[in-house]
Amino acid sequence: MELAKWALLAYRLPREPSTPRIALWRQLRRLGVAQLSDGVVALPLDARTREQLEWVADQVTDAGGEASVWLASLASRSQERALARRMADAIGVEYRALIEEAAAADRGGGGPGPQAIRRLRRELRRIRARDYFPQPIAREAQLAVERLGATTTEAAS
Amino acid sequence: MRWATRRGCHVDRAACAWLVRRFIDPEAAFLFVDDDADIPADATAFDIRGAELSHHGADCSFETFLRRHDLHDPALLAVGAIVHEADLADERYDAPEAAGLDVLIRGLSMVVDDERVLELTGPLFDGLYAYEQRSLALGRDPS
Repeated sequence: MELAKWALLAYRLPREPSTPRIALWRQLRRLGVAQLSDGVVALPLDARTREQLEWVADQVTDAGGEASVWLASLASRSQERALARRMADAIGVEYRALIEEAAAADRGGGGPGPQAIRRLRRELRRIRARDYFPQPIAREAQLAVERLGATTTEAAS
Repeated sequence: MRWATRRGCHVDRAACAWLVRRFIDPEAAFLFVDDDADIPADATAFDIRGAELSHHGADCSFETFLRRHDLHDPALLAVGAIVHEADLADERYDAPEAAGLDVLIRGLSMVVDDERVLELTGPLFDGLYAYEQRSLALGRDPS
């Protein structure tokens, strides 16, 4: 079996001003990168992840930093599995929190309001967008949010 | 004129190509490269790392085109907001259409090549632009 390919972004950005650093941090979080070390992040390689990291690299350069995008493989399958597991675990925590929020919204008196449902659906979309290693909890979270939507439709009719 | 961009057209590149053909260079010929080093000297590069007509700051390439070519048409800005969210989904704009547009073009690029993606998305962006113009004229969503 061939080893998987990853897109890496290596970057260095001046500590000050902090605005570009915060913008960078937000973007990397939205993409769901694995932070490999200080200034090195990774995503499983596909056309989209590579492109997104290239845009981030350009932004770092525009902000006076240095950045390069690398295509790489880990040297062994066990390291590869460990990294994938780490990313899946991190996203699993987010799904778990969402499921709990959905349950809490469901317990509230009068059922969940439309605003709460919209917010949870949006949050689910955000998490799914940075989920690279599908696992059963993803489906569980989707069902929890869908069920919430169904309860209000029933209550309204 | 020749215009060069990265192979594998998704929403931002497809929208840029439409904008070029319709507002900037009706005779435009597009070529697709894997590496920015393969861009011929006589071609204008867009939506590829290092190109002037590319992502800048928080803007996607389509928005950069609008700025650099002084296209201030509010309907184009509205299309730009949708393209931005479809490409980056950073919630800078409220554009619920974006998710649908992204999926449609992403799916299209799975079944046809880049040339065909541009052929097919051209009329789609014509329609989106017409819709935004109508919507602005009416002050509400057109029926």
